Parts: sequence; structure tokens; C-alpha cells
Amino acid sequence: MAKASWPQGVSRHILDEVDSTNAHALRLAPTSGGPAWFLAKSQTAGRGRRARAWASPVGNFHASLLTFPQGPPQQIALRSFAIALALRDAFVALTDLPDSFRLKWPNDVLLTGQKVAGILLESTGAGGRITHLAIGVGVNLVAAPDPTFLEPGAVPAVSVLHATGKLFSPEDFLDALAPAFSAWEGVLVEQGFGPLRDAWLSHAARLGENITARTGKEIYQGQFETIDLQGNLMLRTPHETLAIPAADVFF
Amino acid sequence: MSKNTTDADVAFISALAELLNKNGLTELSVKRDYGQDDSLDVRVVKQAPVVTVQAAAPVQQVYAPAAAPQAAAAPAPAAPEDPTQHPGCLTSPMVGTCYLSAEPGSVPFVALGSAVTEGQTVLIIEAMKTMNHIPAHKAGVIKRILVTDGHPVEFGAPLMIIE
Repeated sequence: MAKASWPQGVSRHILDEVDSTNAHALRLAPTSGGPAWFLAKSQTAGRGRRARAWASPVGNFHASLLTFPQGPPQQIALRSFAIALALRDAFVALTDLPDSFRLKWPNDVLLTGQKVAGILLESTGAGGRITHLAIGVGVNLVAAPDPTFLEPGAVPAVSVLHATGKLFSPEDFLDALAPAFSAWEGVLVEQGFGPLRDAWLSHAARLGENITARTGKEIYQGQFETIDLQGNLMLRTPHETLAIPAADVFF
Repeated sequence: MSKNTTDADVAFISALAELLNKNGLTELSVKRDYGQDDSLDVRVVKQAPVVTVQAAAPVQQVYAPAAAPQAAAAPAPAAPEDPTQHPGCLTSPMVGTCYLSAEPGSVPFVALGSAVTEGQTVLIIEAMKTMNHIPAHKAGVIKRILVTDGHPVEFGAPLMIIE
């Protein structure tokens, strides 16, 4: 695959250290002239969903894209799938191992069944509209967190280096990821969620199998049927089929 | 099932579709229980662009109340009322799970009686692992919190009353 070029109109910033690239991007949002990627060589307070700590050693990839998306919040949240697909594209372009990468709902990337990347999107807005969105991406390029660092039951973690023997710099990874995301975001904006949904489902982990989804207060077990046109996890339980917009998924 | 409910179901679904259109909604889910192990689940979705949510739509007939008002400190309203009709009502711009604090167990963004400034984050709504920081739509004091931490909210559901 020819190396894609850096997306037009998006600035590229490489930082030695920040607290969290998402926090950094959101702080700069009011004064940023346009979309921007921020790559930090290390994070002192990297975080995941629900403020879980995200280990951020030097050599791993920690970056956030600051964007100014248009449209209703529910549509903007579908960028979760655009970034997951872009991540997979970047992995495949660099490693040439298309069969090794799967997607776990909504946007984790698994390498040989183990978590190699995590994504956290954070938006702020006003008057019922989103004004800006930070898309944070963490990739275990060289090191994965120790199992004791993970929540019990969580998918085990792995690094690209350990699983494939290949070493990539965070800058090289960013140069693969940024154009891939812009391409998927363009598809989302121009054609809607359909093509992203199809692509996502074709790479989904555990589709049709039994999984566990833990929402804020409930735990559901059932068959992972599909994702719907809003991106919801469709889980068939013995009693009903649930459309779940937010959950942690366990296998 | 030997019982023929098809015609009734079709009429019911048509009525829901009409309700959806009339109220400018995009999605509507209803579960009807006919008896033990016999129920109808209907989800009607319109793929039209969502209109702005700043003005609270009269959605009370389709959305169940998100939750009981939190804590005894909330004075019981004198008469049945629709919180979305309240001028200080902040409504949900999306479907998702709402969180009243940044992380489990941490101090909530706001509490009953807190003074807030316009634009200050009062809660988070998550969908598709996107954490949407929902800002106060006006400056004032949190008079009511109409949602419970970790529970689902619907589009247009009343979240808080700020006066």
C-alpha cells in the first residue's frame, strides 16, 4: 500500500510530555485555529474510560486529535468507529498482518485476541451542540501493562513489538493513523454510517458469540448479534434484544 | 402463538410511527406485555437529521421519567409537572449513559444547591465510548437533579433544573 500523505488542514504537534493528550487538546480547543494532532512521547496522567489510568511509557503511542465536528451529538459519537477502523488500517499498513487485528465494541483493537490499543473520545459543547471533540488514542507499540495493572476479567494486553517482533516509532504510527482517520471521517460525513458499520462488522471480534456487557449499573450476558445504525451494541439476551450505547464488554 | 395479534400490532406500530413524526422524534422504543412469555418489542427509528435540541420537545408521553429526583433534599413538587416545560430545564442532547462524576466514587460535578456558571460541565453522557461533557445552559443554582449516576438517558430527557 502506498504511504498516505498527511491530511490537509490538520496540524501536527510532537510534545515531549503532557498530563494527557486529550486534556491538552481540550485546553487548546478555544484557541486552536483548526484540527490538530498532538503526539506526546509520554503522559504523566494518561487516562482511559471513566478516568481509569492508562500506562504511558516512552516508546508507546499516545496522541489525540482535536476536531471541530458538525452535526448532532449522536452522529458525532460515531467517530468512535472511524478511529477504530483507522487504527486497524494503520496497524495493517505497518505490519502487513491483516488477519491479526480485530475490533472489540466499540473501539478497542485486539492483536491476536489481546488488547493492543484503546481509544477515548471526549467532547465539550454548548446549547445541546458539540463544539469540539478530542479523540485520544493509546497504542502499546513497545510495552503492554502488567496484568496486575488491569481490571479483573479485562482482555489481556499485548504490545506490537512483543506479538509481531516489529518496532515502529510513535511518529511513524501517527503518520499512518492521521490520513487513515481523515479518510474514514470523510466517508462518515459524506456517506453516513453504513459503510463504516459494514467495515466494522467485517473485522468485529466475537460477533455472534456470547459476551458480557457491563453498563453503568447493570451486567448483561447474551449473544452479540450486530451493531445497529446508531452504533449500539445489539445484545440478544434470553428475554429480549438490547440496544446498548455505552458499556464495557467482556469475553 | 395461536392468538392473532398481527392486525393490532400493525395498528400499534403505525400509531407509534405517527407519534414519532408528530413530535419530531428520531427514535421510539416500546415494550408491550401481553402475558407471560408473550410480549411485543417495537423500536421505530427515523433516519432524518436530528433537529436542534435546545428547545425541549414535549416528550413526556413517550419517555419514562429518567429517575426519581435524587435525595430527600429535593422538595417534592406540589403538583404533577413536566420538568421539560420548566424554563431552567437542561435536557439531554443524546441517548447514552449519564455520569454525575468524572470517575466512579469521585466528587460529583455538581450537587443540589451548587452554583454553576454557564458552560460549566454538570454531567457526562457516554455513547460509543465518547464522553460528552454536558455544560450548564445557563448560570444559576442546581435546583433539581433528575437523573441517577450510571443510568441510561434518552434524547430530550430532562437532566437537571438550573435556576
